Amino acid sequence: MSKELIRLKDVTQVFDGETVLKNVNIYFNDKEFLTLLGPSGCGKTTMLRIIGGFQTPTSGDVYFNGERINDLPPYKRQVNTVFQKYALFPHLNVYDNVAFGLRIPKDAGDGSKEKIKLSKEEIDQRVREMLEVVSLKGFEHRSIASLSGGQQQRVAIARALVNRPKVLLLDEPLGALDMRLRKDMQQELKRIQQQMGITFINVTHDQEEALAMSDTVVVMNEGVIQQIGTPEDLYNEPKNAFVADFIGESNIVDGIMREDKVVEIFNRRFACLDSGFEKDEPVDVVIRPEDVDIVSEAEGQLRGVVTSVTFKGVHYDTIVDFYGFKWLIQTTDYCPVDSHIGIKIDPDGFHVMKKSKYSGMFGDYSSYSEEYDEINDPTIIDEEEAEGAEDED
Amino acid sequence: MKKNRFGGRALIALCFLFLYLPILLLIFFSFNAGGSSAVWRGFSLRWYGELFHNRLVIESVATTLLVSLLATAIATVAGTFAAVGIYSLSKKWRDPILVVNDLPMMNADIVTGVALCLFFVAFFRGWGGIARWLNSWQSLIDFPERLTLGLGTLLIAHVSFNLPYVILNVAPRLRQMDSNLVDAAQDLGCTWIQAFFKVILPEIKPGIVSGALIAFTMSVDDFVISYFTAGSSTQTLAMTIYGMTKKRVTPVVNAVSTLMFLAVMIVLIINNVRSAKQAKIAAKRASMEPVRENPRVVKFREWMATPRGKLTRRVTAAALCAAFLVTVVFLTAFTTSRPVVNVCSWGEYIDESLIDEFEAETGIRVNYQTTDSNETLYSLLELGGADYDVIVPSDYMISQLIEEGRLEELDYSQIPNFELIDPRFRNLPYDPENKYTVPYTWGTVGIIYNAAMVDEEITSWSALYDDKYAGQVLLINNSRDAFGIALKYLGYSMNTTDPNEIREAYELVADANRRGVFQGKVMDEVFQTMEGGNAAFATYYAGDYLSMLENNEDLRFVIPEEGSNWFVDAMCVLKDAPNYDNAMKWINFIASTDANLRNMDTIWYASPNTKALELYPSWYEEQYGEELDPDIYAIMAAPQEVLDRCEMYICLPRNIRKLYNDLWIDLGI
Repeated sequence: MSKELIRLKDVTQVFDGETVLKNVNIYFNDKEFLTLLGPSGCGKTTMLRIIGGFQTPTSGDVYFNGERINDLPPYKRQVNTVFQKYALFPHLNVYDNVAFGLRIPKDAGDGSKEKIKLSKEEIDQRVREMLEVVSLKGFEHRSIASLSGGQQQRVAIARALVNRPKVLLLDEPLGALDMRLRKDMQQELKRIQQQMGITFINVTHDQEEALAMSDTVVVMNEGVIQQIGTPEDLYNEPKNAFVADFIGESNIVDGIMREDKVVEIFNRRFACLDSGFEKDEPVDVVIRPEDVDIVSEAEGQLRGVVTSVTFKGVHYDTIVDFYGFKWLIQTTDYCPVDSHIGIKIDPDGFHVMKKSKYSGMFGDYSSYSEEYDEINDPTIIDEEEAEGAEDED
Repeated sequence: MKKNRFGGRALIALCFLFLYLPILLLIFFSFNAGGSSAVWRGFSLRWYGELFHNRLVIESVATTLLVSLLATAIATVAGTFAAVGIYSLSKKWRDPILVVNDLPMMNADIVTGVALCLFFVAFFRGWGGIARWLNSWQSLIDFPERLTLGLGTLLIAHVSFNLPYVILNVAPRLRQMDSNLVDAAQDLGCTWIQAFFKVILPEIKPGIVSGALIAFTMSVDDFVISYFTAGSSTQTLAMTIYGMTKKRVTPVVNAVSTLMFLAVMIVLIINNVRSAKQAKIAAKRASMEPVRENPRVVKFREWMATPRGKLTRRVTAAALCAAFLVTVVFLTAFTTSRPVVNVCSWGEYIDESLIDEFEAETGIRVNYQTTDSNETLYSLLELGGADYDVIVPSDYMISQLIEEGRLEELDYSQIPNFELIDPRFRNLPYDPENKYTVPYTWGTVGIIYNAAMVDEEITSWSALYDDKYAGQVLLINNSRDAFGIALKYLGYSMNTTDPNEIREAYELVADANRRGVFQGKVMDEVFQTMEGGNAAFATYYAGDYLSMLENNEDLRFVIPEEGSNWFVDAMCVLKDAPNYDNAMKWINFIASTDANLRNMDTIWYASPNTKALELYPSWYEEQYGEELDPDIYAIMAAPQEVLDRCEMYICLPRNIRKLYNDLWIDLGI
């Protein structure tokens, strides 16, 4: 897209003998909206803290504009952060919170000892401008406690952006908001990023949020980057079972690549679009639930029995048992439980992946209901995340 | 159901009554026009007026304020940093340290007090060598070789027991604080130090303020720890009150206690209102729900943001700091300065205007302290925590102190007024060559009885052992007096060293006790009990009888025909007294005829000054415009023929002292 701004080179972070980041190599481009996505404990917050300067990596280097900044304290970095739960200063009002960073004399940046101190007029102008950007004009004298969650969120963004950073780090910025507000703020964040024209690095465990806002998404697990790509790439071309499962819903089954564009599952050969595998190489095959058409048993390429049906508004979540393996199928056709059905999959409905350490761990909907609950209960993940943060101290 | 609730409420009311009734009574009697804490004589502010003229009280209030303010300030700053430090540790260390922090608060004050006292004394003992060494190679600072307990040790002690309270109050604020706040401040350009002052400090401020308030009330309240660490030259208000109650509880004590109670209550109310408000805000904050704001508060905050508001805030802060500094400087000047003499005497045992007069005349400041008994004084001296110059013990204690070499010989050339002491009171058995003492007062012990409860004239000690007055007799709570009287009644010497005679005396007392003659053992409670008409007989000092008479006219005093004890309290100087020459000046001043007359008039104990004894009746008439009742005067200063019947205590040998002690314990009561 444009030029490289931040690079992490061979970064490893160990806490109390536990490796949180493993040999991470990644770069961030200027003016892009990038999201670090992964389950709690995957190391995404740690990576953010390393960029912010709150954490020094155990090994490896951090570069900013080509300069190594490992030992640069946070107050000297051209980076600002929107913290989890915002970390607004409760004893200051909205105006003073936003003006906080501007009132602290900064190094001139040219190596001289002199500090730059902004005039009152300039501070005032910049604070008011920024409050306008986040639509909080007229809230100047309100106390933090009197604001709603969404308003506090805007103050936190304004407080960070008013310092004109090159990069804005956002640590689960929408985690404390309710569903509807979250949707609105996603739009808002995207708008602000485009208006300011700077890099946003966002951390979240919510894949929907990541897909909706980001130019680039980095999927992480167990301290390792699994895949980097645009939201479309990640969805359509997941690199392994973990990514396929984490981004959207996926049925993942064992398969064998018989030859280019022919994959075999359940002992049946199907036409697909993938190629470049060895002959007869065992692979993981991803079939997205919406890519499956339900047909009569006779017409079906595979035949199975419906074991549960959930009405979802636009479609039904239908669980079908194929030879002991349970698939999720999203369809607008209603098939009652216990009905025998056939399915058809077009060649572009298959996505073939190399085997990885995640093979066999995901993509079976036998325990569907439990998994579904967990995904929809953000508090569970929140708590785990909070615990993880505590350990990192 | 309804009935039940009523029962519950009644129980709560009863509980609170139980808690507050004594304090309400104390406040009530502080407005008593009369001099008793038992008999109501109408409303008056007299005792409050007297309070503000009582220099001992004023001085100790100054000391208390100085120590409390300084200790609070130091402990608050140190405690805040300590708490922040503790919170920057890992969890593994943090929790045990907080437990260690709690321990001193749970610990008994007496243990803390004694420990600190012993620590200081031990340190002082080693200090001499260190000071000599320090002075030997540098002359910039002259380190004193001899250190004593005083304002400094008191301050250190107060800081040490205040610290945990500050930490205890600050720690929860740190725990509640979003740990990201510091990161956020650093993210916005603060160094850690800037973050501390701009973010952490405002965030934990409520904890610091309540910690400081609690530390302040703890400091003002403290008695036990102060008692052991203040030494002889310093006295806090609580110690002064304690000293006052030892003699008798005049309503001055009620007045000063009332004021102290109110002061502490006000501070606590302020603190509770503040923390209630804070809790509300914290709850709102936790629930993430917007708080509806009082428009007036919003307006005020907007005004505070204007240049004028900021200026006002700065001026207020500066004024408060200045006020604090001025108070501390003023109090320091008031409590320490000028040459001093440290005097230790009994409570209410001097006309206090004499102290002012002496100070005005000589420029020497008098640290006037009190203890409650010869035995307490002795244990203080033995502990090594006291550095008094002048003490005023009783005869038998003097002979013991001389024997142990604890007294310094007096320089009588500096005490010309010694010539005014009546020859009868010189060269007494406790100081046969009169090298160590100048008598202060003398008096007799006799029977005090309530004529309204007794229908005969009492002339013998026998009344104290008589079944007729079962449950009406107060036994003096001190083995020497109680057995001495019994010995006298049996016709023996009070100073006998014959164990059989002493055992016989014990049997007499023990038998009366078995028959239920005695209501109880009393010392200072004698005032309340006798004035209130709650007992018919007591054995006590003539001077105190005269004080009681003011509050109950039915009381009579008699020195029984069998004879009694007469005693002398004399001024002496401790060995190595730091202010020897000042002590001589003080003793000479107090021995003057004028001082003796005024003391006699205030404390009702007889003077050993020939002229004062002679002049008192006419002096009294001049002062009050009425004649002094000669019978009263005869009680105050017993005539020689009465004294001839009486014996003075001399120091008993160790084995006899032990016998007294054992028998006294056997008596039980």
